[in-house]
Amino acid sequence: MTLFLEQIVNGLVLGGIYALIAVGYTMVYGVIQLINFAHGEIFMFGAYFTFLCLAVLKFPLWLAVLASILLCALMGVVIDLIAYRPLRNAPRLSALITAIGISLILQNLARMIWGAEPRRDLANAKSAFLSQTVIIPGGAQLSYLDLSIIILAILLMVGLNRLISLTRIGKAMRACAQDKMAASLMGIDTNRVIGATFAIGSALGAVAGIMVGMRETIEPTMGYYKGVAAFAAAVLGGIGNITGAMLGGVVLGIAEVLGAGYISSGYRVAISYILMILVIVFRPAGLLGRASAKRA
Amino acid sequence: MISMSSILSSRSGLILFFLCLVPLATAYLDQGDYLLRICSTAYLYMLLALGLNVVTGFTGLLDLGYVGFYLIGGYTAGLLMARLGWSYWAALPVAAIHGGLWGLLRGAPTLRLTGDYFAIVTFGFSELLFRIVKNEEWLIGGPNGFVNDIPAPTLFGYELWQYWQQYYHILILLILTLLVVYRLHNSRIGRAWQAISQDEEAAQTMGINLHEYKSLAFAISAAIGAIGGAFFAQFQVNISAGVFEFWESILILCMIVLGGIGTLKGALIGAAILGSLGEVLRISLSWMRLPADSRYLIFGAILVMMMRFRPAGILRSTQKSP
Repeated sequence: MTLFLEQIVNGLVLGGIYALIAVGYTMVYGVIQLINFAHGEIFMFGAYFTFLCLAVLKFPLWLAVLASILLCALMGVVIDLIAYRPLRNAPRLSALITAIGISLILQNLARMIWGAEPRRDLANAKSAFLSQTVIIPGGAQLSYLDLSIIILAILLMVGLNRLISLTRIGKAMRACAQDKMAASLMGIDTNRVIGATFAIGSALGAVAGIMVGMRETIEPTMGYYKGVAAFAAAVLGGIGNITGAMLGGVVLGIAEVLGAGYISSGYRVAISYILMILVIVFRPAGLLGRASAKRA
Repeated sequence: MISMSSILSSRSGLILFFLCLVPLATAYLDQGDYLLRICSTAYLYMLLALGLNVVTGFTGLLDLGYVGFYLIGGYTAGLLMARLGWSYWAALPVAAIHGGLWGLLRGAPTLRLTGDYFAIVTFGFSELLFRIVKNEEWLIGGPNGFVNDIPAPTLFGYELWQYWQQYYHILILLILTLLVVYRLHNSRIGRAWQAISQDEEAAQTMGINLHEYKSLAFAISAAIGAIGGAFFAQFQVNISAGVFEFWESILILCMIVLGGIGTLKGALIGAAILGSLGEVLRISLSWMRLPADSRYLIFGAILVMMMRFRPAGILRSTQKSP
C-alpha cells in the first residue's frame, strides 16, 4: 500500500511536470496549428541555462532560475520570429518540417556544447531545504522538492488559466485560436499574440526543465523523451485545449509510473506512445476536446 | 511502354550504364570495396526515399515514422532467414507484403483526421516498434539483435555476399522500385494522389475516393520501406534495434526535402547526396573531434534552410511542389 501510494505521488509529480510542458505544445497548436517539436528542446535548455548560470556565472540559485526562465521565453519568441513567422502562409508541411529541423539543431547544439553525458549539477545544487523529506499519511515519503513541484505546478496552472480567461492578452489569444483572420480584423496584432504565446509556453517549459534537472539529471536527449511524453499528454487531453493538457499530463504521469512499476520498466517510454495512439484511434478529439473529429 | 522509354531516355540510360560499370572500376582501387559499400548504402537510401516520397511527396502527408517499415522488413526477413531457414527470395516478398499490411493498418485510424494526426500516429507507431524490438529479447536475441545470423542470399548456387554482388543487387532493386513508382506517378493513381495533396475536399468532389487512394499510397510506401529493410538485413548480416531510431526517419525525410518534395528526381538526388554525405561526415567530424551525432545538426539546418529558401528543392524543378 505504501509502495502504491508512493508511486501515485511520483506519478503526480511527473504529471505536474508533463502538464507544464504540455501546455506549451497545446497553446502554440491552438494559435497557429503547429506541432512545435522544438518545445521539448526549450525545456531542455531551461535546465542547461540554469546549470550555466550556476556553474559559470556563479549566480545564486533563485537568480539562475529566473534568468533561465527569461532566456527560454526569449528563445521561444526568437524561434518563432526567425523560423516560423516567415512560413505563416506556406503549406502546413513546411512549418512542421522546420519545427523538426529546429529541434534537431538545438538538441545537437546542446550535445556539442555540454556533451552527451548526463549531469547531476542541478540536482546537487538544490538547497538542503529541498532535499528534506516528509512522511505523508499512509506512510509514503515525499521530498520537499517533489512537494514544491506539485504545489508550484498547480499554482502555475491556475495562474495560466486566470491569464487566459481574465486578461486582455488572454482574450486576444482565445480570439486568435478561434479565427486568426477575424482577430486581426478586430485590430488584434496577431504576431504579437503569437509571440506572447511562445513566450509563456516556453517559460513554463523552462520551469519544468529546471524541476526535472533537480529531480533527475540533465542531458541533451531529455527534451526529446520528456517532450514526446508531454506532447502525448497534450494529445490525450485534446490538442489545443489547455485544461485538457493539464489533465492529460497528470493522467499520463500516473499511468507511466504505474505501468513502469507493475508491467515492465522497459516499456516506460512506450506507455505514452500507446496512450497517444489509442486516443487518436478511439477519441481523436482527446479527453476534453469536442467530440467532432477535425478535418483538413 | 512509351513512357518507360522516356525514363530510360538517352541521358538516364547513360547514367545507368555508368552506374553498372562502377564495380569494374573499383576493382582496381585499394579502397574499392569501401567505395562500393558507400554506393550501395546510397542506393538503399535512394530506395527508401522513393518509398517515403509516395506518402509524403505524392499525397502530402508527413510521415515521421518511415523507419518503422524498414524495421519491419529487416526483422521479418531476418527472422525468416535466420530462424526458419527461408531463402532470401521467399523472405523478400513476404517482408514487403508484411510491411504493406502494417502500412494499411497504421494509416487506417488517421484517414478521417487532419494531416497532423497522421504525423503523430506515424511517429508513435515507429517508436513503439523500436521499443518492442529493443525489449523483446526472446524474439530476436537481445538488444544486440541478430548476431551474424542472417545467411547470404543464393542465386543459382552462388552466395551473393561480395560487395560487387551486393552493389548490383541493390541497384536492381532500386531500378525496379523506380520503375514502379514512376509508372504510378504518371498514372490515374498518381494524378489522384496529386489532387489529394493539393486539396482534399476538391479532390473528393471530383470523385476521388480519398480513403482508397490514401490507403494505396500507405501500403505501397510501406512495402518499399520493407523491401529496403529486407535488403539491409542480409547486407549487414546482423541487425539491431539501434539502427531504427527516430532520427533515421528524419534523415530520410531530410533527403526528400533537400531534393524537392514530391518529385522522383528530387528524392533520388537528395538521397544520393545525403546517403553518401553521411559517410563523409562521419569521418570528417571525427577529424574535427566532434561527436558523430552532431551531423544531425547539419541535417536539421538543411531542413530549416530548405523550407525557408528553397521549398521546391535544390533543383527548383519547374514542377510545383505540393
